[in-house]
Formats: sequence, C-alpha cells, structure tokens
Amino acid sequence: MDTLAHLMAGLTAALSLQNLAFALIGCVLGTLIGVLPGLGPAAGTAILIPLTFKLDPTGALIMLSAIYYGAMYGGTVTSVLINVPGEAASVITCIDGHQMAKQGRGGTALAIAAIGSFVGGIVATIALVVVAPPLAQVALKFGPPEFFALMLVGLCLITGLGGRSLLAGLTMAILGLLIAMVGIDPVRGAPRFTLGIPSLYDGLGFIPVVMGLFGVAEILLGIEQPRHQVIKTDLASLLPSREEWRRSIGAIGRGTGIGFFLGLIPGVGAIIPTFVAYVFEKRLSKTPERFGHGAIEGVAAPESANNAYANAAMIPLLTLGIPSSPTIAVLMGAFIINGLTPGPFLFQERPDLVWAVIASFFLGNILLLVLNLPFVGLWARILYLPYPYVCVGTLLFCVIGAYSLQQNVFDIGVMIACGIIGYGMRKIDMPIAPLVLGLILGPFLEKSLRTSLEMSAGDFSIFFTRPLCLTLLVLAGIVLVASALRLPPRELREASTT
Amino acid sequence: MPKLTKRLTVAAIVLAAVTGAATAQQDFPSKPIQLMVAFPAGGSTDIAARIVASIAEKALGQPIVVVNRGGAGGQIGWTELVRQKPDGYYLGFINLPATNTVILDPERKAIFTEKDFTPIINQVLDPGVIWVRADSPYKTVQDLIDAARKSPGTIRAATTGILSDDHLAILMTEEAAPGVKFRLVHLEGGAAQFKEIMAGNIDVAYDNVGSIVKRVQSGEVRALAVMDDVRSKFLPDVSTMKELGFRTVISSSTRGVAGPKDMPTPLVARLRDVLKKAMEDPEHVKKLEEQGIAIKIMIGDEYEKYFAETHAKAKKYTEWAKNRPPM
Repeated sequence: MDTLAHLMAGLTAALSLQNLAFALIGCVLGTLIGVLPGLGPAAGTAILIPLTFKLDPTGALIMLSAIYYGAMYGGTVTSVLINVPGEAASVITCIDGHQMAKQGRGGTALAIAAIGSFVGGIVATIALVVVAPPLAQVALKFGPPEFFALMLVGLCLITGLGGRSLLAGLTMAILGLLIAMVGIDPVRGAPRFTLGIPSLYDGLGFIPVVMGLFGVAEILLGIEQPRHQVIKTDLASLLPSREEWRRSIGAIGRGTGIGFFLGLIPGVGAIIPTFVAYVFEKRLSKTPERFGHGAIEGVAAPESANNAYANAAMIPLLTLGIPSSPTIAVLMGAFIINGLTPGPFLFQERPDLVWAVIASFFLGNILLLVLNLPFVGLWARILYLPYPYVCVGTLLFCVIGAYSLQQNVFDIGVMIACGIIGYGMRKIDMPIAPLVLGLILGPFLEKSLRTSLEMSAGDFSIFFTRPLCLTLLVLAGIVLVASALRLPPRELREASTT
Repeated sequence: MPKLTKRLTVAAIVLAAVTGAATAQQDFPSKPIQLMVAFPAGGSTDIAARIVASIAEKALGQPIVVVNRGGAGGQIGWTELVRQKPDGYYLGFINLPATNTVILDPERKAIFTEKDFTPIINQVLDPGVIWVRADSPYKTVQDLIDAARKSPGTIRAATTGILSDDHLAILMTEEAAPGVKFRLVHLEGGAAQFKEIMAGNIDVAYDNVGSIVKRVQSGEVRALAVMDDVRSKFLPDVSTMKELGFRTVISSSTRGVAGPKDMPTPLVARLRDVLKKAMEDPEHVKKLEEQGIAIKIMIGDEYEKYFAETHAKAKKYTEWAKNRPPM
C-alpha cells in the first residue's frame, strides 16, 4: 500500500499546472523529434537537455522523459506516410504501415499505432510501478562488488549485441571508458589526462559529448539523405473498422508483453522488440501472406512493443542505475546533472521526485494519445518543412545549448569535435552505443571497483567469494563468449546498432 | 620628457583606480552578487548557503545568487573563486579542512594556496561523529577500539572522500589509540555511507552530525561519539571523544564565506557586517537548527587564526595520509 500512497502523491505532484505543462511540452517536442526523420530520440533528448536547465529537477526530468517516450510515438508518422522511419524503432512499421497508406488507410494505420503505443506505454508503466520498488529494495543490498559486476553485465550486453563485430563493440566501449577517465581521479583526487586545461578538470562534459555524437552527427548524416515523396492520405477516416479492431487487440497485447520483457534487458535497444513482435504476429497469423501488404497487426504489434519497451527500460535505470540504451544513457546524464544518481538509493532519498516522474508517464501517454489522434494531420505537415531550415535551426540550437551548460565556449568545441567524430564513426560502421554507455558508466564502474578493493584491502577474491557477484561476473563472461561466437542472430545484432 | 609623461600617466592611472575603487565601494553592490558553493546543490553546504543568501540579500538590496560549482572534492569551485576579481561580486564558501587538504595534497596540483583567499566570516561548524548500524556489535567507542586493535586492518571504516575531514578524523583516532588500524573505504558522502552500512558492507562510518542526526533520532543508526570539545546540542546523549579520553580527536567540517585575495578592507567589513547580521537572524538560526547544522560565527582575527590552525593540523594529517600504507 506504501507504493500506492507514493504513487498518489506523485500523481498530485505531476498534476500540478507547472509539471503538467512540462509534460505537455516534452510530449510535443518528443513527437516533433519522432516526426523529423534523421533526428532520433537519443539526439533529440541530448539536444534538448539545456532547455531544462533552469527548471527544478522534477520538472526537468518529467519533460525529458516525455521527450523520450514521445519520440516513440512520433516516429510512426513518417514510417507510414513516406516510408522513412522517423526514428529507428519505427523501421518495421514502414512495411505494413506504408502499404496501408498507399491503400488510402494511412489514417487508420496512424490511429492504431497511437492506440497501440498508448496501451503499451500504460501497461508497461503499471508494471513499472509494481516491479520497481521491490527491485530497488533488493538492489539496496548490493554492495560495490555487486554493482561493479552488474555494470559489467550491462556493458557486455550492449557491446555484444551492438554492432557488426565484438571487436568493434569492445573498441568503442573501451574508448568510452577512456574518455570517462579524463578529469580528477575520483578516489585519489589527482588530475588525469587534463593537459593542464582547467575546463577538463571536471572531465569532458557528458552532455556536449552526446549532443555531438548524436545530435550534430545525425544532422550531418541527414544532409546526405535524399528527400522523400509525402503520400497524401486520407487522414479523416481515423477509426479502425470492427474487423481491424478484432485483428489488432491481440496484436497490441502480445506486442506489449514482448516490449516489456525485452525492455528489462540492457543492450536490447528499441528496435529488436519491434522486430520480434512483428515476426511473432506473422508466425501466429492464419493469413501470414497479408503481412507486407498492409496488415494492421503489422502496425499494431511493433508500435505497442516499442512503447512498452520505452517505459519498461526505465526499470533498470531507476532501480539499478543501469541504462539499457543510448537514449536511456542520455536520460541518466540528465539525472546526474540535476544532482541525482539513478539507482536504488533514489527511491529512498527522493521518493517525491521518482514517483512524480513515474506518475507523469501515465499523464504523458494520455497527452500523447490526444496529440497523435486528432492532430495527426498537423504532424504530417511538418514533413513539408524544407530540410535545410530544419538542419540549420537544429545546429544553431545545439551550439546555444552546449554553451548554456556552463557558459563555457570550450563545451561548444567539444560538441562540434564529437559531432565530426560521431559522423566518421557511423561512416566506418563503428557502433556508438557502447561508447556512450562506457562514457556514462565509466565513473561509476571505476568507483565501485576501487571501493570494492578498498573493502578487501586490495584482494581481488572479493569478486569471487560473494555468490551474487560471482553469478553476475559469470553472466558477463557468457554474454561476451556468446557474442564472440556470434550466437545472437545477425538481424538482431544489426537491428541493435542504433 | 618621456620619463615624466610616463610617470604622469602612471599617477593618473593610479588616481583613477583609487577613486574608481572608492566610488565603486560607495555604491556597492550595484549588481547581483554570486555566492559559489563548491559542492552540488542539495548538500549541507548548499542548504546553509541558500538560507543565509536569502536573508542577507534583503539587507544588501541586490540579489545574492548561489552558484554550485561542484566537482573534484571542491577543487573546481575554489579554483574558480581565486581567479575572480576581488570586487566583492564573486564570493564563495570555503570548507575547512577540505580546502586545506586540496592545497596540501601535492597530487592535486591546486593552482591556489591558503594565501589566495580573503576569509570574511564563518557560518557553520559541524562536528565529526562516529556512527554504526543500530544493531552493530560495537556499543561504545571502546568496543570499536578493542575490535580494531585485536585484528588490525579488518574493520572497514568509511570516510566521505579521500582527505575529507572524516578521513583525517580516522587518522586522529588511530593516533590516539595506538595499535588501532582501520581498513579505509572512501565513499562519496553520507548517502553512500548509509547504504553500505545498512547493507553490511561497512562496519563504521565517520561523518558530521548534520548529515546523520535525523537517522540517529529515528533509531536506524547509533552515534558512538562526537568529535568536539563539547557535546552537540543535536545529540545531547552522545559523549564526546574528549570525554572518553581521546583528547586529540577533534574534527569538524567548518564552512564560511571568503573572497579572492586582496579584497579592500572596507569592502570586507561591509560584507562581514551584512552576513553577520543575517547569520544572527532568528530565521537563519531556526532553519539551520532544523537541519541539525550548528552555527559558529567567526570573524576577523578569530577566523584567520582558526584558518591557520586548521591548515597546520590538516598539514600534519595530510602528510600522514599520503604515507600511510592502504589497508
């Protein structure tokens, strides 16, 4: 009952006019990011973090979370209308969604996607409310060795699942860890790799780095992409027919389940759940030949899955402090700059904040349903914006944002350099996700390793004599070996690169 | 006569500077004042800083904006403070002995020394406290000392960071009780200490009264001793180390306002008076006491003497900490 009381208090806080406004702004911006092709949720969230600087932490996190899951809704619009996913998690929606649009049922496709997303998001948030507090309680018993092993598992999963080869993934993860070492040594207090530059004493800022790696790099890549023809579709007939409803309900339920469970595993990424949900529906269908030719289940299942995933992925972040995707890593960065470290302790220290943010997920999903159903035509019009304006506008916003972090021109330089590096990495097909995870987890990984060794007076056996810690380390080993042997299916590995 | 022209120019510049400074002081402050806190928002220093700022700004007639420049155990913020103009528009909190140990630890390569600050007024003296879990086998300091003497290097004692006042306090305990050797674990502040103590990963923690008083009152943890000359008014039932016979174990986190070096005396006096009045304000007293933070106003010679003494003491233990083999 304690949970319910907390949730009610959270709901009251989230319903305050101010926080409701932040949720709404977040949902609108998120949908916008989702709609704009070439600007994914990780980039969008990173770029918009500076907007929340003057807000109190609760408002800032409500808004940034809304941007994150809002982008999951918005991506569908472009998938359906121009056969280009607005963000990577909507790739699979293109297949049947775009076919439906060609058949004049684009409005229905968008409606079922919005409804499926809503169900997925709400159900996953309910599950989050039920699962998170007990999980955080268990995690409170974890000591530094267990956290070290847990972060290692997360990092191995992301490295193993992401990218074309384990070598590429490991290279990027280690690069991320190395960048994380710049700054003052967290234990001894000695400066490392600072080259005597005072701006580097606090390390390379996570936010300018991810703004560059995602935001600037994606804008540069977007310049190269050809423009697409927008399909004029009848957006008036939104509601699905009785027959379409019958087909969709099961698909939404199954998609939600798949998305939720995959959301609990770090490294899976937002795309895999949509693939799994789609393939599952196709296998289950009595008429699989309809898939690829405008089957509504082919839209309903993956769209439910990606939103269930998006909300479920908050569970490992809030309870364990483990980000399971680059976008969640960016969100974790937002927590950290607000002086909050996601993890089990957050539930104890700031229950007011955690529960207000969780409660805002419910409100945000309702807002998104409203934003997406009646106003879908409005979002579609954004596609007519000429890319050069979008591109220059976003770049300008990035520069102002990076500067506003600490009124330091140095950060702009960091962002631009990382943008160019990120662009180059994509070009040579090096995965960005392990780098970002290494970068954000690096300080925590180092701290827990060194605290563990302080606890054991330098004896490494502390990692092998604690049963839970040993189990986790073995798990990390299995993940690495399995991905070295290329056990995960190829589609899965390719799908998880973004 | 190039020489004379030069002299005249110099004289003119000096005159302009002096009169400029004088007028600047007369209408000080003519714009908002920044008050730097070298630790993140929400911490003990930050809470107290915001309370005093909100009261003092009414008397000054200009806003006092608290800016958090956390990181590197305070080094980032203090580096920024010493690089400001000594015009009174940028002040900051110095935390003794943390500021001292940053200066004294050669590994830190701090760009400032103890002479780079103008101490203005001290606000808080939060004494150190030794605490354990409520169900810990150590009921008294003596239990802890006996256990640590029996098996040296096995009792895990948590600090709130390397060369923090808590770290130095552990060294003082080891010095006062020969044969005692703790296994030091440097954690990142009070919240981390509490978590690890409750999970059984740490046996004893050294922290300050302000961060633990509420948990002692709720019965979750037990305070063994306070490291001050007198008992803490927030923990009246807890003995001091001095009472227990450890006369040299005196440690605290002391926080006050300072500016960059070479601040003009009238300016220092003005700020000191305004801040002193704010710190004596009943609102300030009440709000800090609610947090369990003990006020200790020190100004002028008293504060400078305290700074110097803390520095000398910190020097001794910093050197010792650097040479102590990790256990």
